[in-house]
Amino acid sequence: MIRTLFPLVGNVPAEAIVARLAGSNGHPLQLADPRMLDFLGDVGQRLCLPARARLYPELGALGVWLRKRHLEATIQRLEDITGVLRFARGLVFHVAPGNADTVFVYSWVLAALAGNHNIVRISTRGGDTLQAILAVLQEALAQADPIVAATQSIVSYDHTDLASTAVFSLACDLRVLWGGDAAINDIRQAPLQPAARDVVFPNRSSFATINTAGWLSAPPARQKQAVEAFHTDAYLFGQAACASPGTLFWVGDVAATRTAQAHFTDLLRHTVSARGPQADAAMVIQKQVATYGLAVENIAREITVVCNEITTVQLAAPPRLPRRWLGTGVFVHWRLDRLQDLLPLLKRQDQTLTWFGFEYAELDAFARQLAGKGIDRIVPLGHALDFSPIWDGYDLLREFTRLVTINPPQTAENQHDSQRH
Amino acid sequence: MNFARRTAQASSDLLLPQLTALMAYHRQACPAYARVLEATGHPRTRRYQQLAELPWLPVRLFKEHALVSTAADPVTTLTSSGTTGAGASRIALDREAAERQRHMLIATLVNLVGPQRLPLLIIDAPSAVRQQRATIRGATVLGVMNIGRDPVFALDEDLEVNAVAIDHFLQRHAGSDFLIFGFTFLVWSRFYSYVRSRAADLSHAVLLHTGGWKKLADQAVTAEVFRGGFREHTGLTRCHNFYGMVEQGGTIHVESASGDGLYCPDHADVIIRDPLTWQEAAIGTLGVIEVLSTTPRAHPGHILLTEDLGMLLGVDDGEWPGKRFAVAGRLPKAEPRGCSDTLAQGVVS
Repeated sequence: MIRTLFPLVGNVPAEAIVARLAGSNGHPLQLADPRMLDFLGDVGQRLCLPARARLYPELGALGVWLRKRHLEATIQRLEDITGVLRFARGLVFHVAPGNADTVFVYSWVLAALAGNHNIVRISTRGGDTLQAILAVLQEALAQADPIVAATQSIVSYDHTDLASTAVFSLACDLRVLWGGDAAINDIRQAPLQPAARDVVFPNRSSFATINTAGWLSAPPARQKQAVEAFHTDAYLFGQAACASPGTLFWVGDVAATRTAQAHFTDLLRHTVSARGPQADAAMVIQKQVATYGLAVENIAREITVVCNEITTVQLAAPPRLPRRWLGTGVFVHWRLDRLQDLLPLLKRQDQTLTWFGFEYAELDAFARQLAGKGIDRIVPLGHALDFSPIWDGYDLLREFTRLVTINPPQTAENQHDSQRH
Repeated sequence: MNFARRTAQASSDLLLPQLTALMAYHRQACPAYARVLEATGHPRTRRYQQLAELPWLPVRLFKEHALVSTAADPVTTLTSSGTTGAGASRIALDREAAERQRHMLIATLVNLVGPQRLPLLIIDAPSAVRQQRATIRGATVLGVMNIGRDPVFALDEDLEVNAVAIDHFLQRHAGSDFLIFGFTFLVWSRFYSYVRSRAADLSHAVLLHTGGWKKLADQAVTAEVFRGGFREHTGLTRCHNFYGMVEQGGTIHVESASGDGLYCPDHADVIIRDPLTWQEAAIGTLGVIEVLSTTPRAHPGHILLTEDLGMLLGVDDGEWPGKRFAVAGRLPKAEPRGCSDTLAQGVVS
């Protein structure tokens, strides 16, 4: 049985959910449907209420992202092409990650904005933030057009219930999989219709890069701001989100970089002691196990426990980047002479590079040299966790829609063209 | 018998040079351990004034990496499947290290029960040693068998009471000193109810038991209920819980007969660390247990930070001299939180 979370219709079999969403109605959901925009905008407003946003910082950010005007601007990025019509794909089945409570909202909202019917499976492990989101959705539903409840379904069921996953997979036109590599491979055992396909978000790794000279020449207020931004990137999801930075690449000479690193770490120590989060004993031990393991493997040459919340690691040469989660508050440092020296260290699985102290032109040149062989996003410090409708190399609104072309009546000239091809 | 014979200070004075020598030995014998010491600010030249300054390894490191200090063929690799992780520690044991463990365990138990080998009733199934030699359970049973004689297994292969075996053993041996050994949960759930129903006389018994209280705590069985039950219904007064781990085989910390705490054997020590400052915690304050032992030779397991919580109950003020402490539970494992989930179970669990 499937537990329905939105709209709340009790425990029902997977087939019943598919049947409900497939049911036709008088005015089917459209791309950028005003009824859906109204509902989502209302959800955004409710998430931004100060009492709620204070309690769950990531909900405030989500609420801002869901403002109606922002959603309208997002959808308007889809360009109009003469003779090309854009429609929803149909039914989208999303499998949300087990332990990032807000991620499913972004994927679902974009698919719903595109006019799709959606089934979103979220984890049974969801925390307080998830409960808060569901409560807000429920509140907003009371004011919403009935089309919302008729076309959208957020559910939860045990991951061992392969039969339900199979029902949803076979019914959908597009399947969106977030999560660990192993989990994605598991779900992919369930077949899709021949014309359906997957959009996948597997394990990723992310980094930060700081220009040593840019750091040292920045005014103190700017440095403080940068460290606070980095603190958000690193600690908001316990350094475990795919976009959370693990390794910091410093670009500059040895002596200056040593000074800059020490200064940066000192500011970070102050920031974390003022803002939290405090590490408990289990986390401190986790970080020891992980970092000592790096020394065992000859990956780390120096491990410094700055405080319970911060451990810094200097890599041994030649560098091997730890791409796994080491614990909340482990910062691996590596120095480079030039930003270009980062190129050979990166892999396809690398996602976000946050930066400080570079010129835009340097980053642009770097991205062109990378040529898509790794790193999908280059964003300033503090924006690692900002969701963008272009994610992991996908333009999600395009993934969530399909195109219909209508050719104009053929003139003699273009008839000649098409014959030639 | 006086199990612990030295004051806490005397014990610490004795252990410091032995453990620093052992550190030097493992540094040379295990390059991976040497790398950890170098990386964490413990170069060869560093000197130590107190046990608390010595660097530890987190015990879970042995679940993730094979750290070996011997070139000899291991006679066995011990495994334990702790409750904190999916992995099990793999502890290499060559002939010399195994012999040393055996020797240390015997010396410890001789201090407790005297040099004569006593008849031994094992509250476990014979398969515990036949099929599970390389597990903590099998290794512990085998270790205790070294100090007893004429061992009899009190349970059958389904871990149910073997009444014939128990009755026969007690008929032969209950009139003079004998040993009972088993895991706390099995001793209580199987053996205790049987001997109670038979009104057996265990007044000559020395009961050694080990293993967690979690399953018993769920049934509201505390250490006091456990000891009181045996005392009242079987006359058993010499009841000794002990604490040890596969990563430090041969070292067990034994509870006094009066139950006023666990005491360290001659070759070992414990330090309770405050989980915020990681300095030694005050008496009566909950902290993380660090165990130090001169036993490990084939792996650098001589100073370990466990994931167990404990408390120092007193120093040189109990039934025996030395530190006395209690084990109070286990730390939860830190879980990652984020969209790239690294748990074996996968993200959609």
